[in-house]
Amino acid sequence: MTGGVVIGGWEYVWAAYGITFGALAAYGVSLWMRVRKEARAAREEQG
Amino acid sequence: MGLDLLPRPNPRGPRIGLALIAIAVVLLAIGSYIGLFRAPPEHYMGEVQRIMYVHVPTAWNAMLALTVAFVCALVFLFKPSWKWDARLEAALEVGVILAFLLCVQGSIWAKPTWGVWWDWDPRLTTTAVMLAAFLGILALRRFVEDPIKRATWSAVGTIVAFADVPIVYFSVRWWNSLHQTQSTPETVDSAMVLPLRINAFGVLFLMVGFLMLRSWLAQRRLAQELAPPPETSRPSTSEERSLASTLELGGDAR
Repeated sequence: MTGGVVIGGWEYVWAAYGITFGALAAYGVSLWMRVRKEARAAREEQG
Repeated sequence: MGLDLLPRPNPRGPRIGLALIAIAVVLLAIGSYIGLFRAPPEHYMGEVQRIMYVHVPTAWNAMLALTVAFVCALVFLFKPSWKWDARLEAALEVGVILAFLLCVQGSIWAKPTWGVWWDWDPRLTTTAVMLAAFLGILALRRFVEDPIKRATWSAVGTIVAFADVPIVYFSVRWWNSLHQTQSTPETVDSAMVLPLRINAFGVLFLMVGFLMLRSWLAQRRLAQELAPPPETSRPSTSEERSLASTLELGGDAR
């Protein structure tokens, strides 16, 4: 930081975006895998 | 009463949820591209301000998801039905994930601008309390086995914990906070409005898509949990019923 102005800082930007989208993608994939498993089980229950 | 009826998850729920998530991915890709590469850097914070394009939409949608949880809790208590308990569980989980990401993004933004990763100022403290409270309710749901007690206690807990949500929102106005006041399309430069709006809708679609998938899963689990045991496991003859009742009373059948 120089004279009250932040210089650079792209590494913080990439960290924030990377963690956010990484976590959301991981949660989305885990949800989708559980839904697929349950949907298959539901189809088997119905015969 | 609604609790006598088993939940019946909508078979179209996962497809609608997936469609919303697909729209969200497109919106977030466009919004983040504009925010990262097209929007101008802020005068004082420079490039670091670009964190705003994910931080503010996450904040809005975390509060929205927890408001959905609050509404589901109220509806469950006044008109008990398992689908509202499933929706409550989904909204709690999605709200907690977004609130956690909100804290992480804020911490990353705080380091280059405030010089510290964390500060116990009113906005950050009330957000941490909100996250801990709703995380506690999710933990409670894991520990309570009786579905009726689990649903009722978590609904009451959600209503109590929700009292902190408006405090989080207004904390920057009520107290002298290190955190700036709310960023809205009216308070930022016009060049920054477009990526902020697109990402806000992106996170909104993602949040609703997640809610639909998670609620469908919660309803499936509840349906299995509440389903009566198979007929074959029930004692049929009077001798079997007598043996079963002896075992239930803790007596020795031998």
